[in-house]
Amino acid sequence: MQKTSTYYWWLQIGGWGMLALIMILINVLFGQRVDQQFLISLSLKVLVGIFTTHLFRIYIHRAGWLQLPVEKVWPRIALGILIVCLLDTIIRISFMNWLDPANSNKKLEFSTRFLLATVENGLYIIPWTLIYYFFHYIEKSRKQQLDTLKLEALVKELELKTIKSHINPHFIFNALNSIRALIDENPLRARTAITELSNILRSSMQTEKQETVFFEKELNIVKDYLALEHIRFEDRLNVQYDIAENTLTQMVPPMMLQTLVENAIKHGISKQVRGGTVTIISRMKDRYHQLVIRNTGRLSKTGNEDGFGLISTRNRLYLLFGEQANFHIREINENMVEAELHIPLA
Amino acid sequence: MIRAIIIDDERLARNELKKLLQEFPDIEIIAEAANANEGIEKIDSLNPDLIFLDIQMPGKTGFDMLTELDKAPDVIFTTAYDDYALKAFEVNALDYLVKPIEPRRLADALQKLHLEESRDRETGTEDEIAVNKSLLHENDQVFVKDGERCWFVKLADIRLFESVGNYAKIYFGSNKPLILKSLNALEERLDEKVFFRANRKHIVNLRLIEKIEPYFNGGLLLELKGGEKIEVSRRQTVKFKEMMSL
Repeated sequence: MQKTSTYYWWLQIGGWGMLALIMILINVLFGQRVDQQFLISLSLKVLVGIFTTHLFRIYIHRAGWLQLPVEKVWPRIALGILIVCLLDTIIRISFMNWLDPANSNKKLEFSTRFLLATVENGLYIIPWTLIYYFFHYIEKSRKQQLDTLKLEALVKELELKTIKSHINPHFIFNALNSIRALIDENPLRARTAITELSNILRSSMQTEKQETVFFEKELNIVKDYLALEHIRFEDRLNVQYDIAENTLTQMVPPMMLQTLVENAIKHGISKQVRGGTVTIISRMKDRYHQLVIRNTGRLSKTGNEDGFGLISTRNRLYLLFGEQANFHIREINENMVEAELHIPLA
Repeated sequence: MIRAIIIDDERLARNELKKLLQEFPDIEIIAEAANANEGIEKIDSLNPDLIFLDIQMPGKTGFDMLTELDKAPDVIFTTAYDDYALKAFEVNALDYLVKPIEPRRLADALQKLHLEESRDRETGTEDEIAVNKSLLHENDQVFVKDGERCWFVKLADIRLFESVGNYAKIYFGSNKPLILKSLNALEERLDEKVFFRANRKHIVNLRLIEKIEPYFNGGLLLELKGGEKIEVSRRQTVKFKEMMSL
């Protein structure tokens, strides 16, 4: 606001000053006299002009005309211009009469003078108003554009944050419960289980800070995760890995594979009375890194149960890689679901 | 002695609960089940007083399993955190324990159970149940699930069973959910001294009748405590009058 105000005064004084200079220049060029009376009249024009337009500006601000839609603004502005012109005229004529009562009354009738002065004022006030509005209009649309950009950036950032990694609380508490039972039954396994769980928790907290991580790191988390689920499901969970060595140094979004594997357990294995198999495949294919997660089970018909995980995976890929990345999930036979990710090579 | 069954798909979770229950000598674990079907089988054959029931299980959830039982024993639910399942509890304040189970919460839950049990004894119902197991007593409870809401309902609180195809709509309080049982199957299991077959479509609770009025063709019109009006068929009216005059 301070900055706009400074701008305003520069433009206001500069504009009226320019007008005064032009009028002096015209008078000089056309060989008219630039005498004391002319200068007084000119200063009066400029000063009163600045005064009345400033009043007009204050009123425009108070009444909130800048926020009004265009079709509502025009009639108000027209009326405003008329009133400002009249006010200007009244002040100027009063001053002239007061300064020089003898001279002014000689030449013309009062009404003619009044009319001429008002029309002349119109010549300054109308452009003034147009410039004023134009300036504000540009300012406003630029600000709007800026706001939209800022908002878009914010939304994107928030989306990435919320989409990233929700470690399922259900998983955490079940894991803790299994570990508690293991403390008596198999203390050594209980100790490694605690290490595995802390790895997962740590990495889920760190994902807030990173956009992508080495696939090897992500894979280690998934291995810890599946080891913990194996404690819980015992022989009901079977895991197979088929990992190409050269994919380990690829960059992947953190916790994305993890989310998909978690889905495979939650919607696949845990619903099977006799359990099943989760297979993870990672390999290079043409120009992308292909990740495949297969699990025993069926795709849920309703589709909204796991909706969040799938939609967020898709959104995350799009935000990070645009159209280049790809994700889909399907049933490959009556008892096997396959999710597939294509991530463009860095 | 309370005879209890643990139903949970995870062996370690069952072990952990058994270990916690060692502190409570009056709870005897008579069986374990790893899924809902096994659970139903063991409940039917062993008739436990209490079950510890996991909600998320493969195949059928704990809720689904309960709806299949003719009468539900006392239930303490065990669950790891799960929004969806907990919603049901908020509505009806069923007792549940979150895993890993806190020993103090377990003690509280069992304490509550003892209170209810002694209240039941005062009304002198246990002997009668022992006399005829296949007949449902009015103090027996059924588990009813309607969408996301679920209830344990005492038979004594149900004023009306209405036949809707293969289902029966049960009226209690301001609720009328459906249960997957035919009216004929229900009639066989219900105590005929309390539950009366008024006509082809309705079984009414005789203790919850508000008014009796004569009706066309020598029939009767019963008005129940909930305001429902049920017609008694001519044939049943004779039987009704016989019972009432006793």
